[in-house]
Amino acid sequence: MMLKRNLCSNRFGTMMKADFRRMFKSRLFYIMTAICIVMPILIIVMTSMMAGSVTVDPQTGAETVIEGMDNVWQIIGSVAQSESTDMNSAAMNMSITSMCNINMLYFLIAVFVCIFVSDDFRSGYAKNIFSVRSKKTDYVFSKTLVGFVGGAFMLVAFFVGSFIGGSISGLSFEMTGFGIMGLFFCMASKIVLVPMFASLHLCMSVIGKQKLWLSMLLSLCTTMFLFMTVSMVTPLNSTVIHFVMCVAGSIGLSFVLGATGNKILKSTALA
Amino acid sequence: MNAIEIRNLKKNFGIKRALSDLDLTVPEGSIYGLIGENGCGKTTTEKIICGLLGADGGSVKLFGKSHTDEETRAKIGALIEAPGCFPNLSVWNNMMIQADNLGIENAEEEVVKILKTVRMEGAAGNKYKNCSLGMKQRIGIAMALLGNPELLILDEPLNGLDADGMRIMREILTDLTQKGECSVLISSHILGELEKIATHYGIMRNGKIIREMTARELEENCRTYVAVRAGDMSQTKTLLELRYMHTDESEDGYLRVYDAFSPEDVVSYLYKNGITVTEIKSDKIGLEEYYIDLMSEVSK
Repeated sequence: MMLKRNLCSNRFGTMMKADFRRMFKSRLFYIMTAICIVMPILIIVMTSMMAGSVTVDPQTGAETVIEGMDNVWQIIGSVAQSESTDMNSAAMNMSITSMCNINMLYFLIAVFVCIFVSDDFRSGYAKNIFSVRSKKTDYVFSKTLVGFVGGAFMLVAFFVGSFIGGSISGLSFEMTGFGIMGLFFCMASKIVLVPMFASLHLCMSVIGKQKLWLSMLLSLCTTMFLFMTVSMVTPLNSTVIHFVMCVAGSIGLSFVLGATGNKILKSTALA
Repeated sequence: MNAIEIRNLKKNFGIKRALSDLDLTVPEGSIYGLIGENGCGKTTTEKIICGLLGADGGSVKLFGKSHTDEETRAKIGALIEAPGCFPNLSVWNNMMIQADNLGIENAEEEVVKILKTVRMEGAAGNKYKNCSLGMKQRIGIAMALLGNPELLILDEPLNGLDADGMRIMREILTDLTQKGECSVLISSHILGELEKIATHYGIMRNGKIIREMTARELEENCRTYVAVRAGDMSQTKTLLELRYMHTDESEDGYLRVYDAFSPEDVVSYLYKNGITVTEIKSDKIGLEEYYIDLMSEVSK
C-alpha cells in the first residue's frame, strides 16, 4: 500500500481531497445549490406578479401599492451613487426588493458550513481526522476552502437563477448606472467575501461541535451584523478597487477567524 | 522499542478524576488487551493517545516520540467508540473519504481489498445508515486498517460482531502482529475472545492500571482445577472439604477442587467413600474469572 509522505502540502492536499469528495457526494450541497437557483426565480416571478397590486389597511383605509423590481439586476445589488447614498439605499431601505437579494445567501452559506462542519463531529468523522494528524491548521484551511467553493457555487447558482427568473417574468435586463465590468466586479467581490464568512461560520461551528443548533444560532447572529455591509462594499457599479478591498479584507479576516478556530480546536476535546 | 509508553497520565473532567498516574506499556508487535469496568478510563486513555483529548499531566510516547508528533500520528489506525462514518453516504464513499484523508494513492484497490478482508464487499453500495450494528463495526475495523497502520487502537471493536466477525477479527489481528507489522491496543469486555488473541494485558480500575502482565504470566496465575458433579452433591462437598484445602462451588453447579493431583485421584477418593461421580473435568481459570477474582480482591 502506498502512502504519500507526510509533508505539509500532502497532508493539506489529502484532507482537501477528502472534503471535496464529501461535498460533491453529499445531498446537502446539491440541495443548497438548487435552493439558490430556485430562490431568485421565485422572488422575481412573484414580485413581478404582485407588482402594482394594491393592499388596503382595513382599519385606516390606507392604500399601499406593492412595488416590483425595475430590472433583474436589482436582485444582485444596487448602484452606489456615493458611499453615503449607497448606504442609505442598501442598508436603510427595508423594502422587499432591497431585502430579498443575493446577500441573503450569506445566511444560506452559514447553514451550509454549519451542517458540513457539525456533521464531522456528529458522525465521529472528526475522530478519524484528528487521530491521524495533530495539526488543526489543515482542518481549518480545508473547511474554509470547501466553504468558499460551496459558497461560490451558491452565488453563481443564484446569479443563474436570476437570469432564468428575469427571462420568465419578462423583467428588464437593462443596466442603468453600471456596465458589464461593474456587474462582474460586483459578483467577483461577493465571491471573494465568502472565505471570510466561511471562516466565521467554521469558527462558530467548532464552538458548537456536535450541537448544530448552537453553531447555527451563533453563525446566523453574527451574519446578521455583517451581511448589510456586503451590499455596501459590493455595489453593481463595482470597480477593481472594490474587488481588491474585498480580497484584502476577506483574507485578513479569514486569517484572524481561522486562527481563532484553530485555537478553539486545540484547546477543546475533539470527541 | 515500545509502541506506546504512558507515564503518570492524569486527566480530570471537572472535579471528577478520570485518570490518575496511569502507567501503561505496549511493546511493539504485541496485542495489548485493556480490561476494566465501565467508566474506569479505558476510552479516555485511548482518546488521549489518539490526540482527541488533552491530558492534564504525564507523558504519552508512541514509538519513542511524543504522541503529538505529526509523523508518528500518521502511523495510527483507530476505532474509538463508533466508526466515524456519514450516515447518508454509501459504505464505499465513506471508505474512499477515509482513504483520501490518509493519502492512499491506489485508494480504490485498497478499499476493495480491505472490504473483502472484513467480508463487506457485498455491502459497499449500501448507505451506512442502513447497515446493521455488526456491519457498522466491520466497517469501523476496515477504516482503522486502511493505510497499513503500525499501531491500531481499538475501543470495543468486538461489540455487535457475530461469530464470523469475531473470527475474522482474530485472524486479522493475529496475522498483523505475527508479521511484526503492527501493534494493537484493544479494549473489550468480551474477555473470552480477548484471551484468544492478547499477548499482554492491562487491568484498569478507577483510572489506574492495577495489573499489567503478559499472556504467559496470566497463564501462570490462572489455577487449574478439577470440577466434579455427583449424585449427592452436599455429601460430596463435605467429603471434598475434608480432604482438599481449596474447594468451592461454581456458578454452573460443579464442585471445584484446586489442589487435586489429577481427576483420577478425586474419582477414586469419592468412589471409596460411596459417591458415584456423574461428571468430571479438568480445566483452568480463564481471564474472565481471573479478572472477577482480582476485582473482588481489590474491592476488599
